Amino acid sequence: MDRETIARVAKVARLNLTEEEMERYAKDLDDILNSFSIMDEAPAGDTYSFNPIPVVDVLREDEPGQDLDPQVLRAQMGTYEDYVRGPRLS
Amino acid sequence: MSATYDLIRYAQSKHRAFTEIVDDIDDTKFHFSAKDNLCADGFQARAGSAVLDGYRPPFDATPVRRLKQAGGQLVGKTTMDEFGFGTFSTNSAHGVPLNPFDPERSCGGSSGGAGAAACLIPGHIALGVSTGGSISGPASFCGVVGLTPTYGRVSRYGLIDYGNSLDKVGLLSRSASLIAKHFRTIAGPDPKDPTSCAQPVLSGKGKMPGSLAVPKEALQNLDPSILTSFQDALSRFKEMGVEVREVSMPSLRYSLPAYYILATSEASTNLARYCGMRFGRREEELNQHFNDFFTGVRSESFGDEAKRRILLGTFCRMVGFRSRYYLKSLAVRQLLIEEYRRVFGDHDAVVTPTMPFVAPRFEEIGRMKPLEMYGADVLTVPPNLTGMPHISVPCAYVNGLPVGMQMVADHWKELDLLEAASAWERSFIYRFPEVSP
Repeated sequence: MDRETIARVAKVARLNLTEEEMERYAKDLDDILNSFSIMDEAPAGDTYSFNPIPVVDVLREDEPGQDLDPQVLRAQMGTYEDYVRGPRLS
Repeated sequence: MSATYDLIRYAQSKHRAFTEIVDDIDDTKFHFSAKDNLCADGFQARAGSAVLDGYRPPFDATPVRRLKQAGGQLVGKTTMDEFGFGTFSTNSAHGVPLNPFDPERSCGGSSGGAGAAACLIPGHIALGVSTGGSISGPASFCGVVGLTPTYGRVSRYGLIDYGNSLDKVGLLSRSASLIAKHFRTIAGPDPKDPTSCAQPVLSGKGKMPGSLAVPKEALQNLDPSILTSFQDALSRFKEMGVEVREVSMPSLRYSLPAYYILATSEASTNLARYCGMRFGRREEELNQHFNDFFTGVRSESFGDEAKRRILLGTFCRMVGFRSRYYLKSLAVRQLLIEEYRRVFGDHDAVVTPTMPFVAPRFEEIGRMKPLEMYGADVLTVPPNLTGMPHISVPCAYVNGLPVGMQMVADHWKELDLLEAASAWERSFIYRFPEVSP
């Protein structure tokens, strides 16, 4: 895996990597993916599902309710005058 | 203070089984612990990651809530690999648990603290979570019983996700009978987790398997002592009147890559939520741009293995590679389910050793490359990938260290596995380390 590819993957994954990390992870991913090439031989068809068992949709009545106290939730985050504080967006 | 509380404190101080424990225990209740990726009111939930330092969920995960309602007291949160990323519990920001049989060795991962707690505290029931073997592995290395239910049998509401199509909440304890009792409590549909709502009702008694299949492909590359121990265990099963037959499951060879591709692909999207705002507090440097802040928090807080798996999963999902890796892995999972079903047509369960070796020393683990570590999951990954229920029981002791044996049944047949484990326990006496807190 070349430097350009690992740098692109890290950017998509929102990770800053040092040069040493970049080199090390590129080598690790190369080793791992080379060993995974055995998958190319697998006689798998086109049938698949995203879960190993059937999954059903579960709907509930659309009724207003409050499971948790908003004050309790706000205590989990940095707030200023009841607004959630965060980094700037622009 | 009670003798049980002394043991809990001992398990925390000497074996680092717990990240947090209660100040006192109520002896009128039964005592259980939860792996630190299960949310519980009154405790931090950090899933072994520094990115979640300070996160205190104001609610209980469904399995925790159900055990409390059944008369249990949550006595502590157990140590684990960061987000479940590991086979030896060495990838944790909050302490590496030490094996009850030899503190220089691993407890297994990623529910390592749960394995240690279950071993060190008689009568204790530990909630663990398995994605690719994180209940069976610690059960094997710590010499306890570990049940991983069918995917969807136990609600994942309140579980900090690793891989949504793979995560299963289960139990570890010293005996199958204790697990059988509490498994009925935590199982069952929960509208808060739709994957739990398609399950058949859990009722009645399990059926003792009359026929066990041993896939010959699973007996390759094992430590010789494991193979000998396993063959002795099979002889014991035969003496119990159980038929044991060798079978071939050629698709097992694809399970490890398919699992790691699916697990890391799912993990790389799940972990996108950790941006330093929503879970775990980061209030410094808010004058940065969001993307810089977000990237900085993740880069500083995620551990080495978490970064490796995020990178691997991100790569496997990228345009141009998705079909070769991700979609192919989904198809391989289907292939394996069909292969298990073919075997279950003639046999009641598949049995293998749980791990290819006994608990390794930390110095040995330090020399392993990532790929070697992934390879240690080769026997636990197939049932996890396919969502099949499985149970690990101690089946031998090599130089004083426990060896685990894993039985796998078809979807929803956990009670048959518990029946088999109970029968096994009547024939084979488990050993536990002597502890004097």
